[in-house]
Amino acid sequence: MQIPELAIDVSHLVTHYGSRKILDDISFQARQGEIMVIMGGSGSGKSTLLRHLLGLHQPTSGSIRLLGKDITQLNADQMYDLRKNMGVAFQGGALFNSMTVGENVELPLREHARLDENTMRIMSRMKLEVVNLAGFENLMPAELSGGMIKRAALARAIVMDPRLLFFDEPSAGLDPVVSAELDELILILRDAMNMTIVVVTHELESAFKIADRITVLDQGRILMSDTVTAVRASDNPRIQSLLNRTPRNEAINPDEYMERLTREIF
Amino acid sequence: MDIQIEDRLPFKLVRLSGDVDLHSSPRAREAILNALKLKMPLLVELSAVSYMDSSGVASLVEGYQTARKQGLEFGLVAVAQSAMNVLKLARLDKVFPIYDSLDEII
Amino acid sequence: MNTLLSFVAQVGQRSLQSVREIGYHAALLAEACYWLLFGRWRRQPVRLGAIFREAVGVGVNAIPIVALASFATGMMLAIQGIYTLRTFGAEGQVVLGISLSVTREFAPLITGIFVAGRSGSAIAARIGTMQISQEIDALRVIGINPVRYLVAPLLAAMLLTLPALTVMSDLIALFGGALYCAGELSLPIGIFFARTFEVLVAQDVIHGVLKSLIFAVIITLIGSANGFNVTAGAEGVGRATTRAVVLGCIGIILADMVFTFLTSR
Repeated sequence: MQIPELAIDVSHLVTHYGSRKILDDISFQARQGEIMVIMGGSGSGKSTLLRHLLGLHQPTSGSIRLLGKDITQLNADQMYDLRKNMGVAFQGGALFNSMTVGENVELPLREHARLDENTMRIMSRMKLEVVNLAGFENLMPAELSGGMIKRAALARAIVMDPRLLFFDEPSAGLDPVVSAELDELILILRDAMNMTIVVVTHELESAFKIADRITVLDQGRILMSDTVTAVRASDNPRIQSLLNRTPRNEAINPDEYMERLTREIF
Repeated sequence: MDIQIEDRLPFKLVRLSGDVDLHSSPRAREAILNALKLKMPLLVELSAVSYMDSSGVASLVEGYQTARKQGLEFGLVAVAQSAMNVLKLARLDKVFPIYDSLDEII
Repeated sequence: MNTLLSFVAQVGQRSLQSVREIGYHAALLAEACYWLLFGRWRRQPVRLGAIFREAVGVGVNAIPIVALASFATGMMLAIQGIYTLRTFGAEGQVVLGISLSVTREFAPLITGIFVAGRSGSAIAARIGTMQISQEIDALRVIGINPVRYLVAPLLAAMLLTLPALTVMSDLIALFGGALYCAGELSLPIGIFFARTFEVLVAQDVIHGVLKSLIFAVIITLIGSANGFNVTAGAEGVGRATTRAVVLGCIGIILADMVFTFLTSR
């Protein structure tokens, strides 16, 4: 198996929603085995960036290379094959409510591999062991707590031993202890499996704990994509205000401001 | 992936080599379960395994449990690093009898 | 001038939206059929188990309500028919009236409307909920095409069960009519059915069954499309279910009219 040096290589990505530009000239890289945290406040475009990385939308321009393949150019079959190497844990878990936890975790195996029933059961239970949900495979998602849902979603994301793992807001809505456990789990996964892990979050503490490198997004642009130390040391005022949690305080352009307030009235 | 089956009395020895992945692990599973049908203690040698994923480990788990049910000895020999990582992740390194080399047990 | 302009703009926008929506439904139908026919060769077969489960959900479970509605409709047709025909002294002809209207019109229509009410909303609610909880996205990133996984088995199940329900509805409605005629006209039930089969030709039943196939497509597409297009959270799901039922019923009645117009002249 050939492993390209760069697991993720995004270059000059531009995306629009309708006529509004959401992401503007986004470029960043992540090496195999690296934990890349994408940070930014709400409305910074980080969710949109994640959706493009997952191949859920076509960008206006630019390229997204995952494991050496440009997903903006792949056909459906090639994308299908690439998806075997990608795992995704969504913010709300996105477990299928009509299936048990075990069936949820097994689903990717059923779709992608021809394995014996026993093998699939053992594999899914092994992954539930990894996320500390052993013995929960027969429960329905509705019977789980928020933290358990995230862990079950993580088990489903890693059941195929993917080389790329995407994790959307692992700590959102969780108490500090549970979210610290998830952070720990992310580190263990990277160390054991040499996965490249992309974590989208707005939690500073968690970001600094797990990240090898951090990409900071603001209003659809990259402010910085660098090591944790470099981000901490940055003197960019927007990054500083993000780090110190101060509300943004920008210069106001009076003409534009008045225009926004009185548009279609005068 | 290649499978070699040898007699190392009193053991049956299954040697796996190459990639044991989603594609090839069903064959490894079959070889292990078939070898156990001979009612002999079984060793699985993994030194030449270049990559092993969870489906390979799951096959080992199934083999080990089958052996235990029949009161047969079962062990892993010379576990390659990638396979060891998967075993460790699920804390199975503390469950399987693992030997560094064949000399250690035979 | 300004209001006129904005009115025209609004009409234009609405029409554009309708055209877009019709296009979306057509694309959805094409894709669902594609997966049903060729999924096997694309390594993504539509599983028989899924079709069976859906068939139980939309078809088998609808039997009691469709049966009840059909029975009542048959009886209502008999009451109304005898009342109307009595003015001409032609009560005897009521069997002809009931047989034709049940098989060609009422059985498929009643079945369609009730399944639209039961399942159209359920489909929209299920897919809509999956949309807002990112389950649809989860399917896509696992590599499962949502149309193949959710819509194709449903479409197959609808196409299988709606005609069957319609035939069942035919029989039960006729039985309802026969029962009333037995009481009112002292017409034995055996004779009623014998006469029914005398006047009916296979084409009448086929006419009704063909309609039910069209209704099956309409219910599935409108339900799924409204589900997939949910954006605004739980409220959006509520709106989508209502819309699926209303548009489903209107779609059925309009399609019925067009189909009857084209085939009954």
